[in-house]
Amino acid sequence: MSSFFKSRSAQITVLIVSFLLVFVPYFIPWGPLDWLSGKLMTIAAVTNAFTIVIAVYSQFRRSGRFINERRKGWVYHIYLLALMAIMTLSGFIFGQHAGAYEWLLLAVVTPLSSVIYGILAFYMSSAGARAFRARSPQSALLLIAGFVVLMYQAPLTGAFFPGIEGAATYLTDTFGMSVSRMFSISVSIGAIVLGVRMLTGKEVAFLGFGEGDE
Amino acid sequence: MTNALFTLPGFAEGRLIGLLLLILIFVLAINFMGSAKVPYIRRVPALDAIEDAVGRSTEMGKPVVCSYGCGGFDYWTIAGLSILGYVAKICAETDTRLIVPTGGSASSYIVREAAVDLVRNAYTAAGRPEAFNEDDMPFLSGEQYAYTPGYVGILVRERPGTMVMTGSHWSEAMNLAEMANAVGAVTITAGCYTSNMAALACASDYIMLGEEQPAAGAYLSRDPAQMASIRVQDIYKFIAIGTILVGLIAVNLGSDIINRLLAT
Repeated sequence: MSSFFKSRSAQITVLIVSFLLVFVPYFIPWGPLDWLSGKLMTIAAVTNAFTIVIAVYSQFRRSGRFINERRKGWVYHIYLLALMAIMTLSGFIFGQHAGAYEWLLLAVVTPLSSVIYGILAFYMSSAGARAFRARSPQSALLLIAGFVVLMYQAPLTGAFFPGIEGAATYLTDTFGMSVSRMFSISVSIGAIVLGVRMLTGKEVAFLGFGEGDE
Repeated sequence: MTNALFTLPGFAEGRLIGLLLLILIFVLAINFMGSAKVPYIRRVPALDAIEDAVGRSTEMGKPVVCSYGCGGFDYWTIAGLSILGYVAKICAETDTRLIVPTGGSASSYIVREAAVDLVRNAYTAAGRPEAFNEDDMPFLSGEQYAYTPGYVGILVRERPGTMVMTGSHWSEAMNLAEMANAVGAVTITAGCYTSNMAALACASDYIMLGEEQPAAGAYLSRDPAQMASIRVQDIYKFIAIGTILVGLIAVNLGSDIINRLLAT
C-alpha cells in the first residue's frame, strides 16, 4: 500500500486533484468547491506544521554526531542544542507572549537578526565596488544612473542639489518600473508553463523523484 | 480601480479572459510537448556553467554547496529543486561532496523532505546510495536570519569550489553570494525579484534572469518534449508585448477597453 502512495502516478494524481480544487473555485465561485478548497489549504498547513518535528530531529541528530565524534566546532553544537531546549521549554512553560520566551525573542533573537540584516550593507558595498567599473559605454551609463539614484537617497544631496530628485525619480519610475514589470510578466508566464510540465508529470523533482524514477 | 467590461452569471467577475488565456497556454504547451520537435532555445550561460563548475570542484577536491531557496512550495522553490536534482546527479556521478543547507522560513520545513528524497534518489540512480549523507543536508533554522549565518559558516568552514544558489532567496542572498565569492567559489545564482537580481548580478559569476529559472528543469533535462514547452513562453511574451502596445494606443485614444478586459 505504501509503495502505491510513493509511486509517481499516485502523487501526480493527487497533484492534479489538488490543483483543480484550488484553481476552479477562483474562476467559478460555488459554495461546496470553496469549502473543499479551504479544507485542502488547512490540510496543507497542518502537514507543514508536522514537518517541523522532522527538521528539528534532523538538527538534533546532526549536532549529536558532531559532539560524539568531536568534529571541528563541536562545542557550538552543545550551545545550539542547549538553546533549542531552553527556547522550547520556556515557550511551553511561560507561553509565547510572556516570561523567558518573550525576553529571548525580543532581547536576543530580534537584535541578532537586525545585525545580520545590517551587515548586508557591507556586502553590497563590496560587491558594488567590484562590479561598478566603467569598462564599456553601457556600464558607464549604468554607473551614472546608479550614482544619481544613490545620491538622491542621501538626505544631504537632496538639500544641496534639489534638481537631482527629478532625474532620480525619472530613472526609477520609468526605466526601473518597466524592467520590474517585464520581469513579473516573463516570470509569471514561465511559472504557468512550469505548472503545465508539473501537471503532465514531466517535472517531478519537487516530488523528490529524479530522472527515470517511478 | 477599473471596472470589468463584462460579467457572466456563475463566473467570478472579469476573470474569464484570464481563464481563456490559461487554457490556451495549457493547450499550446501540451501540443508542443506532444510534437517533441526540439525548437531553437538560446543558451543560458548560468545553466551551462553548472557542469563545468562542479567539475572544477571535483578536480580541486572541494565540495559543492547548492541551495534551493528559503520559501515553501512556490514556483521558485520547484525550479530550485529541479536544479538541485541536476547538481546532485552530477555530484553523485563524479564523487563530489554535495552540501545542501536547508531551512530559512517557517514554510521551508516541508520542502526539506522532498529535497532529501531527491538527493538520495540521485545517488541511488548513480549506483552509489552509500555515498548519500543526510548530515550534508543540515536543517539550519526556520528563521531567515539564523539560517543566514549558519549558511555563511558552512561556506567559511568548508570552502566550497562551487556555490549554486537558486529558488527564493531574499535579502540574505547577497550575504551568501558575496561570502561564496570571498572563499573563491564559482558563484551561480538566480534572483527572484528585481532589486535582488541587480545586487546578485554584482556578486555572482553567473546569474539566471527572469524566466530562465522556471525554465531550468526543462532546459537541463534535454528532453525534447520539455524543451518544446519553453516555446510557449516566447509565444506568450509576444502576446503580452502586443497587448501592452494595443493598450497603450487605446489609452492614448481615450479608450480603457484593454484595462477593462483584463480587470479582475
